[in-house]
Amino acid sequence: MIELKGVTKRFGDETAVDAISLTVKPGELCALVGTSGCGKSTTLRMINRLIEHDEGEIHIDGRPIREFDGRLLRRRIGYAIQSTGLFPHWTVARNIGLVPRLLKWPAARVRERVEELMGLLGLPVDQFADRYPAQLSGGQAQRVGVARALAADPDILLMDEPFGALDPITREGLQAELRDLQSRLRKTIVFVTHDMDEALALADRLVVMKAGHIVQQGTPLALLRAPADDFVASLLGGDDRGLKEAAITQVAERMLPLSPRLLPQARVHRDATLRQALAVMFREHADRLAVVDDEAMPIGELSLRRIVGAGRDGSGES
Amino acid sequence: MSRREAPLNRVVMALSLVATATWLALPLASVAPNRIVPGTAHTATDLLGWPLALLACLPLVALMALSRRLDRVRCHLALALVLLLLMALPGWLAIASQWLVDPELPQARLGIGAAWWLSLFWLSLMLIELRSRLALVGWRAALLPVVVATAWWLQGAWLGSLALGQELDGRRGDFLEAVVDHLLLVGGAVGASLVLGALIALAMRQSPRVERLGFAVLNFLQTIPSLALFGLLLAPLAWLAARFDWLSAIGVSGIGWAPAFLALLGYSLLPMVRNTHVALSEVDPGVLEAARGMGMGRGQVFRQVRLPLALPVVIEGVRITTVQAIGLTAVAALIGAGGLGSFIFQGLGQAAMDLVLLGALPILAMALVADALLGALARRLDHRRLASPGGAP
Ligand SMILES: Nc1ncnc2c1ncn2[C@@H]1O[C@H](COP(=O)(O)OP(=O)(O)O)[C@@H](O)[C@H]1O
Ligand SMILES: [Mg+2]
Repeated sequence: MIELKGVTKRFGDETAVDAISLTVKPGELCALVGTSGCGKSTTLRMINRLIEHDEGEIHIDGRPIREFDGRLLRRRIGYAIQSTGLFPHWTVARNIGLVPRLLKWPAARVRERVEELMGLLGLPVDQFADRYPAQLSGGQAQRVGVARALAADPDILLMDEPFGALDPITREGLQAELRDLQSRLRKTIVFVTHDMDEALALADRLVVMKAGHIVQQGTPLALLRAPADDFVASLLGGDDRGLKEAAITQVAERMLPLSPRLLPQARVHRDATLRQALAVMFREHADRLAVVDDEAMPIGELSLRRIVGAGRDGSGES
Repeated sequence: MSRREAPLNRVVMALSLVATATWLALPLASVAPNRIVPGTAHTATDLLGWPLALLACLPLVALMALSRRLDRVRCHLALALVLLLLMALPGWLAIASQWLVDPELPQARLGIGAAWWLSLFWLSLMLIELRSRLALVGWRAALLPVVVATAWWLQGAWLGSLALGQELDGRRGDFLEAVVDHLLLVGGAVGASLVLGALIALAMRQSPRVERLGFAVLNFLQTIPSLALFGLLLAPLAWLAARFDWLSAIGVSGIGWAPAFLALLGYSLLPMVRNTHVALSEVDPGVLEAARGMGMGRGQVFRQVRLPLALPVVIEGVRITTVQAIGLTAVAALIGAGGLGSFIFQGLGQAAMDLVLLGALPILAMALVADALLGALARRLDHRRLASPGGAP
């Protein structure tokens, strides 16, 4: 659990972060979004004391972070950044094992842990362990960065635009992997990004920042449905908000059981998003879809009315 | 035009043309009955006759032909030809020595002519060009000069009448001593400037004021001509040596190795400090942030991250400094510091070019070897270059 209470940071005359309060619950992924220079990275780096805050209090698991030694605190908190910051003169395996070695784990346990993590992040050991960072693609380097952040099994993970420098396809692949990883590991994650789609896809809680302030926070759905002001609304995509909402709602949430009516030809997978369902309807000129499971067996149906009409309050037709 | 034509290589073409002209027109060797009398010059055509001299040009003509479309295969062929020509160079002198030097005159000596030196020069340039075309690095690149040197060594036996060899014969002991003195001075000055330079660079990182002051002083030192610096050191060192017995006991005086060492140190400091400083300051900030973010302490970041990442650039500084010091030490002979420079100045004084060469050639060789070795070391330590093709583990 991470708590920020009235935290302020000034650089000279400039106030980078202005009295923000924020609570990240255990196992929650909290995304900080906002335009560049609004204080996201500064907020993140105050949490692991790479930067000391000027005012307010930051607590981790109920204890003020000033009580900890900065270095020891950082070894307990995973940290991944956009430039990866991998050590170019160390192999992948040595990079990943950095924090465990700082924590003086026995060599055998470090090696075991490194191999476990490489497996977890889809980096075959025999292929990657002895490579140097310069021999990795951007996506591979970023995986190594995440593996390094997870190495000592920290409860908290801080990620500063970790996928920001990647091409869209690689980025979406890594986002999916992170979501999958998070569903298994349940870390407390603070994730900085300026890519709203990424934030919507990953976050349990969305925190919108502007000029050092928090403008609004809440679940992605709550923000999409009720943006606090024009700034949040435009950041969330303006008129595209509806589609973004559809993109984070699953077909399974809206589908109805099979009716006696004739089953439509056009079909969509249960785990697809409403946005994908809409795309299928548009392409197939259909207003009803059959919902299928992994074996392509129909398990329900979804109508256009159901998609758009039930959006407001969740009751819709019954 | 879908096929990619290998382009004309102008460098090889031009160099082989010039080499042919040089070979046919300029003197290959000169013969003198003794050291005093100026020698008579002989061109290759004098020596071999036109048919043979032209025949010897054939490899050069072949190089011109190859250079018109230098693809990879032809590039290898050309490299082999250049290597052969280089290896054969002492052979021409051996032939000249057999045919031109009268065995009745033990004082007779063979001088190396302009055509020979220039051929060596043109061929070396071609070798460098072809090496970079073929992107040869590491041991394969190092093999080239080794092959040539070995071939030369093997032909050494026939070159007894070479003036260079005769100059050496008379001074074998002096020569060895000069080489050792030279190496000691260079090694000492570079080693001391590395230690001192690192300390200065570290001090500069502590405050911008020290940084400005340090660079101002070092830049100023660099602008003093070397002889003037030796002169400037003469008086204070002589005074110090007179004041403190232990100083004169270890050989410090206004002339000799002490002022030479100090001057070399002065000149070496700037490149050393500049490279070390730049190297330490320009480590990727993202890497440093990650290092701190993982919970490394200041000392750990410095020793495990900043320093190893700076090392290739520091070694680069050592390379520049070493090559520079090898040359400067030659000048230091003027103030009695010994070293190979003393042969150069003696030779200049006696107008004996071969004696000058006896000093200059080993200096050249030392500089080339130091340059190659330290350059290779810097590349080895630089893991950022591993991304280049062929660098995979
Ligand atoms: N070390 C620093 N020194 C001075 N100003 C800084 C420093 N770090 C950040 N800032 C300033 O603080 C503001 C917020 O920066 P940052 O948190 O990096 O923004 P973001 O990550 O949201 O793009 C910016 O105006 C930036 O210029
Ligand atoms: Mg940032």
